Amino acid sequence: MSQLQTRFFTDNKKYSVDDVPFSIPAASEVQELSNVINKLLEAKNGSHSQIEFDFLVRGQFLRTSLSNHMEAEGISTEDVVEIEYVERFTAPQPEECMMHDDWISSVEADSEWILTGSYDKTARIWSLEGKAVMTVAGHTDVVKDVAWVRRDGLTSLLLTASLDQTILLWEWNSERNKLKARHCCRGHAGSVDTIATDHTRTKFCSGSWDKMLKIWSAVATEEEEEVEEPPSRPRKKQKTEQLGLTRTPLMTLSGHNEAVSSVLWLDSEEICSASWDHTIRLWDAETGSVKTTLTGSKVFNHISYSPLCRRLASGSTDRHVRLWDPRSKDGSLVLLSLTSHSGWVTAVKWAPSHEHQLVSGSLDNLVKLWDTRSCKTPLYDVSAHEDKVLCVDWTDSRVRHQHTSSLY
Amino acid sequence: PLPPLPRPHPAKGIHKCRKMGQDIRNTVGNVPMEWYQDYPHIGYNLDGKKIFKPIRNKDELDEFLDKMENPDYWRTVHDKMTASDIRLTDEQVDLVHRLQKGQFGDVNFNEYEPSVDFFTNEVMIHPVTNRPQDKRSFIPSLIEKEKVSKLVHAIKMGWIKPRKPKETTPQYYDLWAKEDPNAILGRHKMHVPAPKMRLPGHEESYNPPPEYLLTEEERLVWEQQDAEDRKLPFLPQKHSCLRAVPAFSRFIHERFERCLDLYLCPRQRKMRVNVNPEDLIPKLPKPKDLQPFPTTMSLVYRGHTSLVRCISASPTGQWLVSGSDDFTVRFWEVNTGRCMKTLEVGGAVKSVAWNPNPAVCLVAVCFEHTVLLLNPSLGDRLVVSSTDQLITAYEPPEEDKEQAVTWALSEGLEHNKGHRLTLTHPKAVKQVVWHGKGDYLSSVMPDNSSNLQVLIHQVSKRRTQNPFRKNKGLVQCVSFHPLRPYFFVATQRYVRVYNLIKQELTKKLMTNCKWISSMAIHPGGDNLICGSYDCRLAWFDLDLSTKPYKMLRHHKKALRGVAYHRNYPLFASGADDGSVIVCHGMVYNDLLQNPLIVPVKVLKGHQITHDLGVLDVTFHPTQPWVFSSGADTTIRLFT
Repeated sequence: MSQLQTRFFTDNKKYSVDDVPFSIPAASEVQELSNVINKLLEAKNGSHSQIEFDFLVRGQFLRTSLSNHMEAEGISTEDVVEIEYVERFTAPQPEECMMHDDWISSVEADSEWILTGSYDKTARIWSLEGKAVMTVAGHTDVVKDVAWVRRDGLTSLLLTASLDQTILLWEWNSERNKLKARHCCRGHAGSVDTIATDHTRTKFCSGSWDKMLKIWSAVATEEEEEVEEPPSRPRKKQKTEQLGLTRTPLMTLSGHNEAVSSVLWLDSEEICSASWDHTIRLWDAETGSVKTTLTGSKVFNHISYSPLCRRLASGSTDRHVRLWDPRSKDGSLVLLSLTSHSGWVTAVKWAPSHEHQLVSGSLDNLVKLWDTRSCKTPLYDVSAHEDKVLCVDWTDSRVRHQHTSSLY
Repeated sequence: PLPPLPRPHPAKGIHKCRKMGQDIRNTVGNVPMEWYQDYPHIGYNLDGKKIFKPIRNKDELDEFLDKMENPDYWRTVHDKMTASDIRLTDEQVDLVHRLQKGQFGDVNFNEYEPSVDFFTNEVMIHPVTNRPQDKRSFIPSLIEKEKVSKLVHAIKMGWIKPRKPKETTPQYYDLWAKEDPNAILGRHKMHVPAPKMRLPGHEESYNPPPEYLLTEEERLVWEQQDAEDRKLPFLPQKHSCLRAVPAFSRFIHERFERCLDLYLCPRQRKMRVNVNPEDLIPKLPKPKDLQPFPTTMSLVYRGHTSLVRCISASPTGQWLVSGSDDFTVRFWEVNTGRCMKTLEVGGAVKSVAWNPNPAVCLVAVCFEHTVLLLNPSLGDRLVVSSTDQLITAYEPPEEDKEQAVTWALSEGLEHNKGHRLTLTHPKAVKQVVWHGKGDYLSSVMPDNSSNLQVLIHQVSKRRTQNPFRKNKGLVQCVSFHPLRPYFFVATQRYVRVYNLIKQELTKKLMTNCKWISSMAIHPGGDNLICGSYDCRLAWFDLDLSTKPYKMLRHHKKALRGVAYHRNYPLFASGADDGSVIVCHGMVYNDLLQNPLIVPVKVLKGHQITHDLGVLDVTFHPTQPWVFSSGADTTIRLFT
């Protein structure tokens, strides 16, 4: 059996070992390497308890035996191999199960509160402990997406988009637990499926089934805006809905040939949208023109952008999570596809604090945590959901995902 | 074989016995004397006694001394037969010399004796006979004259012609005549010898082994069989001896049959063409190159409690409507599988159809005797309200005509549920179908006994027409042409195409099927597919022929639904075997190019319940996705 000269290192000071080369059997796998590190740590520190490690060789996670991996990656076996090791992520257990009466269409968490939109026409605010704080009721149809806008002390602004073609801007006082609808954003001619707040927290963008993207102001004001109503719209409907002041879009971006499924801000001037017409488009928020088009081969369900690694992740109606470089000019270039799901990928989300990790949810009831350095297999699967996963989000460093819970 | 008899040695032996007075001739004959090397004796004399070898053989030294000292050594020879040395006498030496010179052995023989003539050469004066010469030897022959005159006469009469001069032109012949199998020489070359008759076996024997003899039952069976069915044309029989065998009674028959075989069965050499069977299969593109098409099951829409008979997708592709035997109509969100709405109707839903006009939000549902127009209130609010306005804006005409159906506007609770118009038919309705513009709709009431089978309704004017005066058979399904004012009516075996403006029959398509179940028109309008209960799918090119351009028999059981995709070159068929088969059906604008039909995928997923599998298929209007509804109460989306 051949031996390899290896040197182990880690960023975590707690688990560091001596910087000397070791001779390791070439056929050893993750478990054996993990045992080696544990032995070394035990020798150094008697009170060390067994810990599972994962190993990276030249920035790629080790998933097969060491020799196979090095052969596949084309690494010379003559030199000393530098192996980085990190603590293994184990599949977390669900901490809280927030029971909705109906399917949850969207979730967005900030540092204190979790906002969920549901198919029972309401949105809800939860504390991080899983306590229902507030029910946001006002829509006449299914709530499709929710978003936090800003928090000034105890009052926060939040958005809910619905199948009834409107977006409501709410003001919520967390101390008095008072909720007030400030604005009703009208203008879409189809269900509003996605909304995203920009980085300055003064604007937001919405994407709808009517193929349009609209940019709105997210600042709550008191004066009524001039509404250009199409004459065919019935007058009486407006009067019955006392849902705040009506607001019209600042700008409409049209160009997609099919429904817009997901929208996000890359920075304050750039909007990225994914659509059922198999494209991801990058828009200039100032001029409203398309800058770049990334063409895929399947309908896109959801996209997510990480400012840390500047990559775009997309979930589509096949089984793959794909990573794109939004700055590449030649368009249709997939950097990486992560394949392990067996159903449509309905949601993807990059980790807010880790540049390699993203989480994906799929119709096969699984949520997977991925590391871009290991594109064959995910770090772990979360199989706590009993039905389709529709949306996922992170809180701080932990992942939080919501799913459809059919009438518990 | 016996060894040759010992023969007395010539001359020498006699001479010896005369000389020695004792006969020591060896009687072993002309055999190699090496055979006796290992024995003390060398053979046997005439009395059968052994002839012993001399006790001591001469060695080389003795031989040499003998050669030096004995003056007669040169005339001494060794007799192998008796192993003794013989000294030749003078006469014998002389004879040897004479023979060596090639002279006669006998000294007294003279080979040059003078010859004596036995016949004289002198002529004698007396003849042998005294007869005078004949007269005919002096006069010319009359017979010859007669013969000559006959020949002369024949020449004169032209009966005998002078010999033709020999042709001097060179003679050609066909060198390759044998190569042509049709020419006579070629046939000679291609001669196939008659097949040999089978040689007689044990059963033909006069005394066959007992296993070849038929038992009594076998013999009865043999006798009852027809002559052609018999394994043997005769009964094997056992005779005690060859003498008891009677004459073969079937001899003439057998010869005759053999002659018939040779005469009536033409023998010819088969020219086998070496063709790779793969080359005979038409070249079809690989399914991989024909993407996109649905490949996997993605979503299951669960909620119905009985078999789902019919589905229809909204023109935007956001919603799906399904009708079931559990008396409900359900509306689904396509991309999540969420049931948005459930409506109870008063019967098993036979057919649903979403209005294809995107500016109108109406769904036609038929159950029992009723066609119901629903406004599901899904999609754009503006469209929903304008649809309601469209329906309420109707003003009844002054003169009320008697119509085949009664139109009723729903109000109150039913209006809130979404019901808008109710069309009560006189008979059970099986199918509803919209015209592409969304104002006209047609309903089918299959009934073989009257001409009231198909009705065309106009929603905006609430008017109903019966377009047909005659009953042409049990109507299965109808469809509007997507672009031109044509109307397709499928009866059990034929599809008739009517021109609605000229009000005449344009075409009658022969499907070659036993019973049509479903029909779909290509969005271009020039092609049509028909599914039938006898497992076939027929593709018609309306410009080409009234017969099917292609018959596809991929399903194992009866087809229930067929559908075309609106944008992609795809069509699908669902059948009772629980599978949906998706085919690539490319129609070219070039009139000379025939449609390209390639089956690309078999989609399985539905369970077979009560011998029913897939009941309806429909495509998503914009994506290459296909929905199928099945008897297992589910609707499935394949992408």
